[in-house]
Amino acid sequence: MQPHELRSESFSHYPPQGRAFAVKHLVVLRQIPLVLLPILLREIIEYDWCFPVEQRILVRQFDYLETLQTSSLASLMAPFAAVRLPADISKIDWVNQPQRFSEQLSALLWSTQQIDNYRKAALQYQEQLKQVLVDKPPAMPRFTIVIVGQGVSQTHASLFRLLRPQGALFTAVQPDQGMETLVKFVNERAQNCPGQYAHWYIDGGQADATCGAQQGITVTSYNELAPVALKELNLIERFVERTGKTASVGPEAVQSFMAALSPTDLGLRGSADDAVLRHFEVKLLTEGAGTQVFSTTFVQWATREAMRRAQPITMLARFAPRQRMAPMNELLKRNPLTQQTDPEGSLVDADMGAYYTWINQGRLAGADQARFLAWFEGHGLAVAIAPSLPRDTTSGAATNMRKILEWMS
Amino acid sequence: MKENFLKIAQQRAWTRREFLRSAAGVSAGTAISRFSPLHAAIRDKKRKTVVVTFGGGARDEETFAPQGQENIPHLLGELIPQATFCTQVVNRGILGHYVATASLATGVYETFDNFANVAPSHPTVFEYYRKGLSRPANDTWVIAPSNGFNCIGQSNGSQIAPGYGAQVILPKHLLAAALGPQHPNLGDFNFLLQDNFEDPLSTPPLVKTDISLSHLNEILHLSVEDFTRHAQTLSSADELSVFVMRQLMRQFAPSLLWITLHDMDVAHSGAYSLYIDGIRRTDRLCVEIWQAIESDPEYRGHTTMFILPDFGRDSDFDAGGNGFQHHRTGDPLSRTTWMMVLGPRIRQNVTVDRPLNSLDLVPTLGALIGFPTPHAQGKPILEVT
Repeated sequence: MQPHELRSESFSHYPPQGRAFAVKHLVVLRQIPLVLLPILLREIIEYDWCFPVEQRILVRQFDYLETLQTSSLASLMAPFAAVRLPADISKIDWVNQPQRFSEQLSALLWSTQQIDNYRKAALQYQEQLKQVLVDKPPAMPRFTIVIVGQGVSQTHASLFRLLRPQGALFTAVQPDQGMETLVKFVNERAQNCPGQYAHWYIDGGQADATCGAQQGITVTSYNELAPVALKELNLIERFVERTGKTASVGPEAVQSFMAALSPTDLGLRGSADDAVLRHFEVKLLTEGAGTQVFSTTFVQWATREAMRRAQPITMLARFAPRQRMAPMNELLKRNPLTQQTDPEGSLVDADMGAYYTWINQGRLAGADQARFLAWFEGHGLAVAIAPSLPRDTTSGAATNMRKILEWMS
Repeated sequence: MKENFLKIAQQRAWTRREFLRSAAGVSAGTAISRFSPLHAAIRDKKRKTVVVTFGGGARDEETFAPQGQENIPHLLGELIPQATFCTQVVNRGILGHYVATASLATGVYETFDNFANVAPSHPTVFEYYRKGLSRPANDTWVIAPSNGFNCIGQSNGSQIAPGYGAQVILPKHLLAAALGPQHPNLGDFNFLLQDNFEDPLSTPPLVKTDISLSHLNEILHLSVEDFTRHAQTLSSADELSVFVMRQLMRQFAPSLLWITLHDMDVAHSGAYSLYIDGIRRTDRLCVEIWQAIESDPEYRGHTTMFILPDFGRDSDFDAGGNGFQHHRTGDPLSRTTWMMVLGPRIRQNVTVDRPLNSLDLVPTLGALIGFPTPHAQGKPILEVT
């Protein structure tokens, strides 16, 4: 099947909102080259479980494409159209299984040395959209807080080394009441500027109960999802065993199996109101590498994905000790919550995770006004990045978390 | 795009060179004119070559950049001062470990599925070497990190008839066979047996093995008991590989030895501390390999060692990736890496800044040792041949 053969009925298996979206934009969809189309369809299939920001971006993207003259659209799509595809790839049911198509496409692009051309086309396309669909800065400056080092009494690690040049390092922060102050601050932001999926709290252990849905915060935690991850790994193991009896099970087959898992498959239940969050959590566990076994990886990836997809204006990410390293087959089978932990290694993981979170915040609209705070939990070390604070400075004066937050505001 | 790629790759090379200059006092400049053409004419009949590749790229940020230097004290302090260091080696092929290592070994960008259990399509350096110099089978060995590498020793036979390949040894597979499924302490060895980190959910089956358990004593001069006992003292799969390599050196003194280290690929789990641990272990093992060479009369003074990652890892700033964790974006940093060469008649404490290609390795080995590599697509690196 080729894109120009698409019809309204082609999307009959899509969820309701996704189907309506596809049908509405059918004319444009027919003009998009096969190399790009299934990737967009992957987003449309997920439309019903997209965050509001993602839905808005998808709508704006297609509204823009519809405003283009046929020749302009063809010009925009030309780099994608130039990618050479073998005829048989169009035999894949890319309308209903765009994930499978993408896996095949990825392998093909690499093996035919077209990946660089594809990458160039994708970057050009994104840049064009970025210029046309300028994101507005958020209603209030974004504020991200990353807490690292839970359970570490002392360390030789030189923390926040990559963040220090960007802001002010405080070396004598009064640690008492640090967490409480930060939670209070996040809750106040959610109260002052309420919004669906606008304020997040991601914890690598047990989430603090005083920072949650009641306060207008979207919460996810490793402790809550670790049993779900174990169930996922059990399902994969059974799939590999079952399928392996008749054919070899390659990574693509495992990936396709994982991509098809739903919240119900994984025992993630909830109300219709939180279906979007449940689907997000499934993606964290099925698309993230290492998120199932290491809480530090979970927090880093969950924070990244929440920022990329939901574009929150407040993010509180708290790392917790991950389980000790073990052979992967053991990691995949055992309960991570009952194992010995590696607090020192987790601190190193979290330090890098904090840096990546700062980078991810910088990709969002309003980055020049955004605030970022990283704190070594229970200790006097914190780095604060804000327009109001000088860069690459160190303060050894005694202070507390409340004052730092005031200086950043 | 291409210009941008080159610019970033060159910046990266410049950073490496500047850092080396300040950290290790390495002199910069290619100065090809200072090479004596006589080097190529002098052929040491006892010449041996060891190639060490890292399957699991290490980025500059964790190695040669200022903040990374603490992770590679041995490479910097002990090997770089003796080496010619190529600051800019670009891999334009598929960034998967088996297919990329196979490409390094053939001098052609192989295009097979990284996770497929297939032989390279083009002749390997081992075949060129054995055929070109009429060398016996035991003169060239590959110590491979995982099941997926078990076909790397010999191409699929489409261009060179079968029979000239390297013998491939899979230390993890050998250890698993030595222990047997009923071993009472099997769990204690699991950390040495992890097949790979990129696809932990499915281990590719072995389609062929060169070395069976029954040959353990014959090949490694070890009893099953000694092998498992020694394995218990090791802390990683790469240490097991180096141990096996040393046994092979003692037993056969092969002239072309290829070892791929893989511990640092634990980065795929997303745990930065484990990735750093892997780099530090690799740094130590590289020096241990060189020390093994220098302490063995069969190798000392006759051996050239090449050290190179198969490729890099994704940049922190490419939105399509997740930094150090993977190598999926194809961005300039994931494609650009380095190479270190040391040994007799290799100039010491010198950097080569011009862009090189990963495919240059095979023609360079051919020019250095003296065998033709007709199907390889790279060019000999004049600065080390």
